[in-house]
Amino acid sequence: MAASSMKMHKITHTAAFWGFVAPSVVLFTIFFLIPLVLSIAFSFTNFDGWKTMDFVGLANFAELFRDKNFYGALGRTFVYTLFSLPFKVIIPLLIAALLCSDRVRFKSFSRTLVYIPVLLSSLVVGITINWMFSAEYGLVNFLITSAGGKALDWALNPYLATFVISFASNWASTGFYMIIFIGGIKSISNDIYEAASIDGCTSKQTFLKITIPMLAPTTFLAVLLATVNLLKEYALVQGITQGGPGIKTVFIIQYIFDKGFNSMQYGYASAISFIVMIIFALIAYVQFRFSNNGGEN
Amino acid sequence: MLNTKRDRIVNSSMTVLSIIVALAIIFPIVWLICSSFKQPNELFRYPLHMFSANPTLDHYRSVMAGGFMGYIGNSFFLAIVGTLITLVISSMCGYALAVYRNEIKYTNKVFAVFLLGTLIPGETLTVPQVSVISALGLYNNIWGVILPVVTTTTGIFLFRQMYMQLPLSFVEAARIDGCPEFKTFTHIMAPLASSTFVTLTIFSFMWRWNDYILPLLVLSDQKNYTIQIAIKNFIGMNGTDWSSILSASVISMIPVTIIFVILQRYIIGGISAGGVKG
Repeated sequence: MAASSMKMHKITHTAAFWGFVAPSVVLFTIFFLIPLVLSIAFSFTNFDGWKTMDFVGLANFAELFRDKNFYGALGRTFVYTLFSLPFKVIIPLLIAALLCSDRVRFKSFSRTLVYIPVLLSSLVVGITINWMFSAEYGLVNFLITSAGGKALDWALNPYLATFVISFASNWASTGFYMIIFIGGIKSISNDIYEAASIDGCTSKQTFLKITIPMLAPTTFLAVLLATVNLLKEYALVQGITQGGPGIKTVFIIQYIFDKGFNSMQYGYASAISFIVMIIFALIAYVQFRFSNNGGEN
Repeated sequence: MLNTKRDRIVNSSMTVLSIIVALAIIFPIVWLICSSFKQPNELFRYPLHMFSANPTLDHYRSVMAGGFMGYIGNSFFLAIVGTLITLVISSMCGYALAVYRNEIKYTNKVFAVFLLGTLIPGETLTVPQVSVISALGLYNNIWGVILPVVTTTTGIFLFRQMYMQLPLSFVEAARIDGCPEFKTFTHIMAPLASSTFVTLTIFSFMWRWNDYILPLLVLSDQKNYTIQIAIKNFIGMNGTDWSSILSASVISMIPVTIIFVILQRYIIGGISAGGVKG
């Protein structure tokens, strides 16, 4: 009796489990797992998003390895990521430390202000910063010329355009990473700080010798998230340069979309997506291994 | 005594520094808002001033006259319906992954599959996603931008975390009293996670309101545009329609900012707890 009732329960509970997860599983399968499989399948075809779909073997990948624009977009994405990453992590860390200090007042007010840009869509972030940097009648050029300098062509010079995109990206994400660091700083035990203060540590020593090392796991999380978010920068660029001047600020995700949706080369775009997915995963893996080894030492 | 005086100076200078930093960060938004009330001849003539000598609502009027109410309505539909679906399905899924973890061996494997969603950037799957959306007949349909995005690993993760912390004895007690499994969730366990519901509401509303890539690719008919796509269309091939884009951008900021200001203590707790995005 007891055993069969146990078995009944087991069946009911298994059914209930699948009932609870079914909506998420079904939607996730249709809109994530199937596209994942399709992405790999399309990459071996010349699919044009409409009717043509022939198996072309590895032709897309062969083309990809000869595609100068692919290397260009990938290279720009890496340079952009490496250039932006330190600012994306260090500035929020410093602000978080400042806005956690016992010496500072009105902390929650200041935190709220720093967080507000996080609420904006990437497109509006791009627009907001681009408005300040517009070549004619932009505030930044007005300040430069008022100070006697020469107005800069923010949109026409590739380096300046990349700088504006990086500036916008860092500006908008500062609040997000600040909150992550505040969480990390708050989880450091107060006893350590008290001990340091009894031993006569200066604030600078406390920050460099206690806060920074104790924050290592949080910093790792921030670096990982920031790297991935920089590598896939897209919507922000649409609010600033749309990839210009020429293709000088086309990053890899935009290159995929241009190939897929503008040139209707779904097969080729899928092949790029597949390679990019692997590169992103490798980068995350390397960072993960690197930080694990760091932790062991 | 000397020390306390020095301390006071350090304290107030650090407070001043922190406020300067905060104001500097908010400044671009303030500048955008102030610009949106300027007359066209003030926008495009040096010297620039912070505030308009003669503020105008013309940019807002012309944007609103251009069918903007419809785009705002579509955005609200996407954000509200999308958020409701996300809340229902992620709470159920996260609950089941936590509560059945001892009885059903493969719960962690199911969870691991969902974690793929955070490991693989959605942007790399957009091309085949659009093919799936078209194949389902959801192209140029608001549901075509809702259904693909409502399953968020973040949401499932947050609810799973929440229910892992609750003792399983709650569920066992309900079972002994003969409460059906689903009713145990809706009547006993779901109300206990109210803070998670609030956190995910804020995040999900913000994500959906700000969604850009799928609406851009899937909503081709102008009457289906969301506010983000309408804004994007002010950036034309022959330059940007700045006077419209300024006021449209300001309008687009209002709903998320209101929700944030009302519920901000949850959002800040939510990020520190989850440390996740997207």
